[in-house]
Amino acid sequence: MCVGLAAKVVGVKNGMAVVDASGAKREVSAELLDELEPGDYVMVHAGVAIAKITQDDESETDDLLEMLS
Amino acid sequence: MEEKKKTAKEIIESYDGPKLRIMEVCGTHTHEIFRLGIRKILPENIELISGPGCPVCVTPVSFIDEAVMLALEKQAAVCTFGDLIRVPGTKMSLGGARAEGGQVKIVYTPLDAVDYAAAHPEEQVVFLAVGFETTTPGACLAVKKAKEQGLANFSILTANKTMPNAYHALKGSADAFLYPGHVNAITGEEECRRLALEEGISGVIAGFTAKEILTALAVIIEKSRTGKSFFVNCYPRVVRPEGNPAGRELMKEVMEECDTEWRGLGVIPMSGMRLKAAYRDYDARIKFALPKIEGRANPACRCGEVLQGKCLPSDCKVFGKGCTPQHPVGACMVSNEGTCSAYYQYQL
Repeated sequence: MCVGLAAKVVGVKNGMAVVDASGAKREVSAELLDELEPGDYVMVHAGVAIAKITQDDESETDDLLEMLS
Repeated sequence: MEEKKKTAKEIIESYDGPKLRIMEVCGTHTHEIFRLGIRKILPENIELISGPGCPVCVTPVSFIDEAVMLALEKQAAVCTFGDLIRVPGTKMSLGGARAEGGQVKIVYTPLDAVDYAAAHPEEQVVFLAVGFETTTPGACLAVKKAKEQGLANFSILTANKTMPNAYHALKGSADAFLYPGHVNAITGEEECRRLALEEGISGVIAGFTAKEILTALAVIIEKSRTGKSFFVNCYPRVVRPEGNPAGRELMKEVMEECDTEWRGLGVIPMSGMRLKAAYRDYDARIKFALPKIEGRANPACRCGEVLQGKCLPSDCKVFGKGCTPQHPVGACMVSNEGTCSAYYQYQL
């Protein structure tokens, strides 16, 4: 149940967002995130978008390894 | 000429320091670490311990017994995440209750249970609210929506848990925690930072891709060399320093802390969540006057010790014999996030 699903927002209306996860679309709650817009990527848990995803894991991990050096 | 920087994998493979015990708190981390073959590249002096971060696994037997009672004796329509269906109760699982005629429905989100209740006013609908800070906001949203819609036939059975006091209970079990990234997506960095600064509990927030897990382990290795406690957010693309304030506000509005039982860890003070007085009409325990139930786990099952990192699944006599994913004896074999399930799937 705790497996997060990364998905792209394709529409937002009345506190709900339609998200596209690798082609599968479904409606999820957008009530926990402000200013969600089509094109944003979000992490979805049990039908609720809990966080915006701001970058890919490549640049994220590069930054962390840079910090170590 | 500039020296080529080590990759995360190289940092891990070349580690030759003192033994380092790292506890991956989240069941999804446990499974991804196995699936990606990360254990195979670890040197002998790095030990990965699987912790209690699978909500299904830490849910006590008595909760399953309560849910079975709701389905069979109270004739409620029990809505649940699919992972709970096969968790053994004292007498039977929810799957067993369904086979005996109880209404047990799998939902993707608590909000689906509210929709079901709205569409079936003649039925009493109970959602089984398990999970950590990641999933609890969804249960709170469901209760708020039911109240807004004036639904008198919806309630939840709570077994929600919070992580910080579990870290205290597990202090000493590991040298560093791989914190569950999606819990921190709600809670943010503050508590983990405080644990490092004030209580000497080290850890990093980790994501779930191969790069993210390897990098998180590499950061733990490098930071451990300093001999000081540390905290690093290694999943900043999802976990903001402030987490998700709206999610926390929602939990604060609808629920309050309480003592709760964790399978294997016993009762941890103030590590659970229950509905606040303003929402007690939606508390299934009150609505159906459920008696206090003392659940009994199968005495052969060692899930409790597995959850504390005190033994490996393979140390359990029934693992892989009487206890398999098809016929689980303990909760850790049921859920896809469970440690026994991961060991069975990837090591047998």
